[in-house]
Amino acid sequence: MTTHPSILACVALVSAAIAATILVVYLVRRPSLGGATKLWLLLGLGVFPILTAGSGNIVGFEATKERSFCASCHVMTVHTADSDDPTSVTLSSRHARNKLFGAEDCYTCHADYGMYGTILTKWGGLKHVYNYYLRGYHSMTIEEAKKSIRINHPYPNENCMQCHSTKNLLWASKPDHKAILSDVRDGKISCASGGCHGFAHPSWLTPDGRAL
Amino acid sequence: MNGSRYPQILRIACFLALAALALMVWSLLDPRPIPVVVAMSVGQVLGTLSLGAFLVVVIADLRRRMEPVIATASAGDSIEDPIKKER
Repeated sequence: MTTHPSILACVALVSAAIAATILVVYLVRRPSLGGATKLWLLLGLGVFPILTAGSGNIVGFEATKERSFCASCHVMTVHTADSDDPTSVTLSSRHARNKLFGAEDCYTCHADYGMYGTILTKWGGLKHVYNYYLRGYHSMTIEEAKKSIRINHPYPNENCMQCHSTKNLLWASKPDHKAILSDVRDGKISCASGGCHGFAHPSWLTPDGRAL
Repeated sequence: MNGSRYPQILRIACFLALAALALMVWSLLDPRPIPVVVAMSVGQVLGTLSLGAFLVVVIADLRRRMEPVIATASAGDSIEDPIKKER
């Protein structure tokens, strides 16, 4: 996985280095607990570690949005490889080629919408980690994963409607959209269904094009 | 808290903080699920414990240093007023 250096990552690393230096010097020299020692320890145990944790958390949260992060689990590589494929015509790949999605296309599409969307999405991500390491996904072959791993809940149209609001005149002028407008908005018909825009990912299809 | 234990507690706090920093740096250099989750959970708990231990020592040390001052002040209050005594 490539690491994207950023200013925050540099801040976190430099803070960690300063804090570690202060702590090691304290451990080696063992000075008496005077005012100066307390001040140095406040920097080494408080200020710089808090700076490291704060900036490190932001860098960590940003890293979890990357497609390469999703690809850390081998059962997801079918999807991520498809997104990387410039010739693929699946919904996920077409969206990945859009600059607004880019390398964060998994997160952009799968992040829950709404006020607590980010928190709920991170919570869902923790469940993925749990499933991967403790519920057998880790030892699953790709072929087994294709047959048994499914999205936790039906993909909500609200996520598509963050960009495709269904209020655009050009969108609404399409007869198919007009006919099922309320069903699309209510989520009764999925945008990513076989009869509409097709399945988002290739692994859900058999070689003859049927959904698994 | 016995004052002779302060250096020992501070050394433990330093080791905890070093472990926390190592976990956080690991997640920065290798941002995969396990390092990120471990840094944001175990790393932060260790870091908080080390800061907590430091603060406990500082407060205990402050109280220990203040005790003679408070005792002297209390003793001063209890001395009988010599003028009142003469009356």
